[in-house]
Amino acid sequence: MAGDADVVVRDLAGTMVLELHGVVDRGVADQLTKAYEQGRADAPARVVLDFSDTEYINSSGIALIVSILGRARSEGLNVAAFGLSDHYRHIFDITRLSDFIDVCPDLDTALMAPGQRR
Amino acid sequence: MRRPAPNPEELARFDVPSEPGNERLAMARVTAAVEGAGLTEDQLERLRTAVAEATMNGIEHGNDGRADVPVEVVVLRDEDAVVVTVTDLGGARQRGNAAESPDIEAKLAGLQRPRGWGLFLIEHMVDEVADTTEGDRHTVRLVIRHTEWSDGGGFDGRRR
Repeated sequence: MAGDADVVVRDLAGTMVLELHGVVDRGVADQLTKAYEQGRADAPARVVLDFSDTEYINSSGIALIVSILGRARSEGLNVAAFGLSDHYRHIFDITRLSDFIDVCPDLDTALMAPGQRR
Repeated sequence: MRRPAPNPEELARFDVPSEPGNERLAMARVTAAVEGAGLTEDQLERLRTAVAEATMNGIEHGNDGRADVPVEVVVLRDEDAVVVTVTDLGGARQRGNAAESPDIEAKLAGLQRPRGWGLFLIEHMVDEVADTTEGDRHTVRLVIRHTEWSDGGGFDGRRR
């Protein structure tokens, strides 16, 4: 079954925003890595994961998110996310991803510095 | 909502080839099969994730990604639950032990590989999960109970 997925990186006011469109599974591993590396070239202050157009995340996708989170943390970058459905927000809770990623209600909140988010 | 008959009703039975991504095909067909079966939106989402993960395990670990070896999916509705069985032809296999349970802190510290979330997700999505093996046939049984028909046994819509 062909993967309907895309990863887009944007720089918004010094924040690397990674848009994860469609399916988040192992099929997007290379795209996500390249997008992250492209975003790093802009020396961002933090990273935001945009799930507002994500249809499906499986266990391989969770592993990819863990990998990106680990890499960002090792480079001193805070990671936030927004656009998660209630179901995937629950999965972020039970996997404890939400202990390490600020899950925000919207892009504006996610773009704030960590101490300013509610 | 009228309570279903006590005997299990087969809502769907189908195979998917063991090819990457076909867990989404299984998920879509199960979604269609359980329409009108009385699941809440939350229960449906949890069942979809569990079916996808069980099918992906069957494709990758049971059938070793051999496209000509199918994963069989059966959807049943019995008196108080929706039951989905996912069968591969990989025979018995060891489940991960407690030491291999995913720990995000260990993963972030590089002490565990990033992968290894599949069984964890299945166990947290459904009310019951069990696996059986008969010869080469390895079956995972996923159960979602109808909360509105529960007898107050403690299920609150999310597995704890």
